[in-house]
Amino acid sequence: MKFRCILLKGTLLGVMLMSLVSCFKEEPLNAEADIEQAQLIVDNPDALFYNATDATIDVLSDQTTITFDVRASADLTALAPTFRLTEGATVNPASGSVHDFSQGPVTYVVTSQDGRTQRTYTIAFRRVSHTVTEVLEFNFEHYELNSTGHYYIWHNTLPDGSLGNDWASGNPGFKQSKGKSAKPEDYPTTPDPNGFDGACLKLTTRETGALGKSANMPIAAGNMFLGQFDMSKALVEKAMKATRFGLPFVQKPVKFTGYYKYKPGPEFMDKNWNVDPTRVDAGDIYSVLYRNHDKDGNAVVLFGDNVLSSDLIVAVARIPKTETTSEWTPFELEYQYKEELDMELLANRGYSLTIVFSSSIKGATFEGAIGSELMVDKVRVYTEKEE
Amino acid sequence: MKRLYILLATATIALTAMAQTTLLNDMSFYWRIGYAVGGNAPLPMPATIRSLNKYVLQPNMSIGVDAHRRIGNHWGILAGIRFENKGMHIDADVKNYHMEIKKEGDALAGYFRGKVDTRITQWMFTVPLQATFRVNKVNFKLGPYVSILTAKKFSGYAYDGYLRVDDYTGAKIELGNDKDSRGEFDFSDDMRDMQCGIDLGADWQFSNHFGLYADLQWGISGTFKKDFKTIEQTLRPIYGIVGISYRIN
Repeated sequence: MKFRCILLKGTLLGVMLMSLVSCFKEEPLNAEADIEQAQLIVDNPDALFYNATDATIDVLSDQTTITFDVRASADLTALAPTFRLTEGATVNPASGSVHDFSQGPVTYVVTSQDGRTQRTYTIAFRRVSHTVTEVLEFNFEHYELNSTGHYYIWHNTLPDGSLGNDWASGNPGFKQSKGKSAKPEDYPTTPDPNGFDGACLKLTTRETGALGKSANMPIAAGNMFLGQFDMSKALVEKAMKATRFGLPFVQKPVKFTGYYKYKPGPEFMDKNWNVDPTRVDAGDIYSVLYRNHDKDGNAVVLFGDNVLSSDLIVAVARIPKTETTSEWTPFELEYQYKEELDMELLANRGYSLTIVFSSSIKGATFEGAIGSELMVDKVRVYTEKEE
Repeated sequence: MKRLYILLATATIALTAMAQTTLLNDMSFYWRIGYAVGGNAPLPMPATIRSLNKYVLQPNMSIGVDAHRRIGNHWGILAGIRFENKGMHIDADVKNYHMEIKKEGDALAGYFRGKVDTRITQWMFTVPLQATFRVNKVNFKLGPYVSILTAKKFSGYAYDGYLRVDDYTGAKIELGNDKDSRGEFDFSDDMRDMQCGIDLGADWQFSNHFGLYADLQWGISGTFKKDFKTIEQTLRPIYGIVGISYRIN
């Protein structure tokens, strides 16, 4: 009897515990239908993406539009994005199938493992422009005498560390007018060891001598510019055409900075070689960005007579006035844009940039004070570049 | 509790007095004290509940008095009143499990995958009415019961998982395992105040006064009110009680 009772109670408790614990069913199938990650694997990701990491997108749970950011130039006609889905889920069209995304987004439908949940996703590609800031540095540390040993020439440092020949000065012209008797240090454009940092540029307005005077070019302002000096034009009537300002430039210049010292010469001479006591010389510091082709598609270079006035100019950064100072004085000039830059044109070398330093602001028309001196160092051009 | 003691004492005195009258010669009165083990469980167990990680015994005391009247040699009828707690504390793994949690004051309903820690407290007065059938010293009992709840709590937290808000395509809310990152819930206000069910049991009177008893109380009504939909399955209170009885007369 006792046994029966224990048996009974045991059975009762057993039923109860079994009902609680021992009747778990098979695991239900997944009911979620998510694209958890989208990826685009291509042979040459650099052609498509700015960053390799842009090829993989971790998709947020409440996000159904998945957008890949690609280069403006990306070819979207045949791309095969792949997806990581919720376990057991399926996607239609298939992960890895090829689609033309150039006509717009493509819609994918994900179905959960249990078949009951469906989610519709839109995969899109967005062409984005991407700018990086780059600073061009000009420290005027690399100079040497020209091949004939008469005057100095400078080299800029290129991004790869090699030396370029982007700087030009009027020294070759000065050599033609007076230079045979002048030492390299007596030229208008010379280096100076006492820069803001290392060596600097020293521009001095010089007398050109008899030959220059006879050609109605009595003075030569010390100058330095990005561009070329065309010696063939230096001593003829088209002297203004000797300075070919600007080199093709593929970045958008934003800011132009550096340090200078300025000391005007004692007597300001007008073009007729008369002293004008009412005028004091000033230096000039500016940078110009311009379209290097005209409306008809002809290549254009700006010269001394139109570098600040051409219709093709799109941006100018110019110092308002060089102060007379014996201390290194910083200048920081924003490029003033007259029109929006055409980024495609920019990328295709359709713009040219020049930087110009002159010891006499009217040097191009041969006015100024002999002995005016502009020292320049540590020049920077801050740019934005679309990758 | 104080009220309970007064009530039970009064009942005992009354029943003792009644038992002594000749009219109630065929009646016996019992004290009972027992302990309940069980749970408020969905039956059958849904697939959304994957496993039970933890089951913690609760202070599920049951105390009460019964009156039993014999009718013939074997049959009888039993009625009584109990004051008891049916509590439960479990920790379970769930998948695709519909829940509603409170997060920074917002109620978020949806489907949860992870772990759920649930605690239930149900203090109640229970009145059983059972037919009895005696075989030797054992009385088998079967009949309905009605319970009135005096204190109720259904709370806990979902943790170590994620909730898909509203439906499976909703935002994924990750839940961790500390006070800030888990999702608390409290459905106490949605619990029924009255429960009823079937009580199947047996009393074994092994001595003149003392006996052992076991009851299985199988709830017919669910734990929650009809309009409560957060937990999709009906949770029936199913508790087994074992204890000692004392025959007063």
